[in-house]
Amino acid sequence: MEDRMLFIGMPLLVANIALAIWGIGYRHLHAAGAYLPAILFALLGVAFIVIFGLYLKEEQDEFQRDLWVQALLWGIGATLTVITLWGSLVEFELAKGLKLIFVFPLFMLITCIARLVLKLRYR
Amino acid sequence: MSGRVGSPAKYRFEDRFLFIIVPLFVLDGILGIWGFHYHHLHPAGALAVFCATAQSSPIIAFIFIIGLYLAEEKDEFQKSVLVQSMLWAIGATLAVSTFWGSMEKYSQAPHMDIAWVQFLFCAVMIVAIGANRWRYR
Repeated sequence: MEDRMLFIGMPLLVANIALAIWGIGYRHLHAAGAYLPAILFALLGVAFIVIFGLYLKEEQDEFQRDLWVQALLWGIGATLTVITLWGSLVEFELAKGLKLIFVFPLFMLITCIARLVLKLRYR
Repeated sequence: MSGRVGSPAKYRFEDRFLFIIVPLFVLDGILGIWGFHYHHLHPAGALAVFCATAQSSPIIAFIFIIGLYLAEEKDEFQKSVLVQSMLWAIGATLAVSTFWGSMEKYSQAPHMDIAWVQFLFCAVMIVAIGANRWRYR
């Protein structure tokens, strides 16, 4: 997983940062050109998902895999709960609309917290 | 007559679905029909919070019930099929939401409401459960 992150994830991250610094990603491009930063940004997330999926498939240590799976399940449950509640609050004008792009970071944050808690639990 | 004995966790899941989720959906439907959800009564303050909570409660309860089922299920194979399906679903949902979110940000793609994330997750999970069952048939 580390090799894949280093040779696939990191170059994509660098390309994303370079695009952001140069300002290409901030609506300076029009028409077909605007799809490039969008695709590049999404590619980073998709690459991370695929790399992590491959890690889960290849991990031989059942305990480590189980810890990650448990953390991911907590992440799924909590993310969907937050989104559902937030969506209802938005409908009744009690909160501002949450952008779709924040779903992944929210999921990652909850999963990382769950992983940490599980690690402490089984230390 | 079928000689198969079902899993107790599955029975409990079905009971919880019947006695918790269904009444919550009925309550949701009643609120919707009476116009609370459709702003006919312009709910505000505590009433709006109550309506928002009531609207989201069946789905949140369903998430908790699935979690309880996973914790109680003794059949490792059934649990593994469900967990695999959920992981496929979250992978696909995050991929689609990240892609669409970045399209919204950079290419002025039409705004997709956050509520669609749950439906997308459920749709992919159902397809993944079907695919996994077919794979291990």
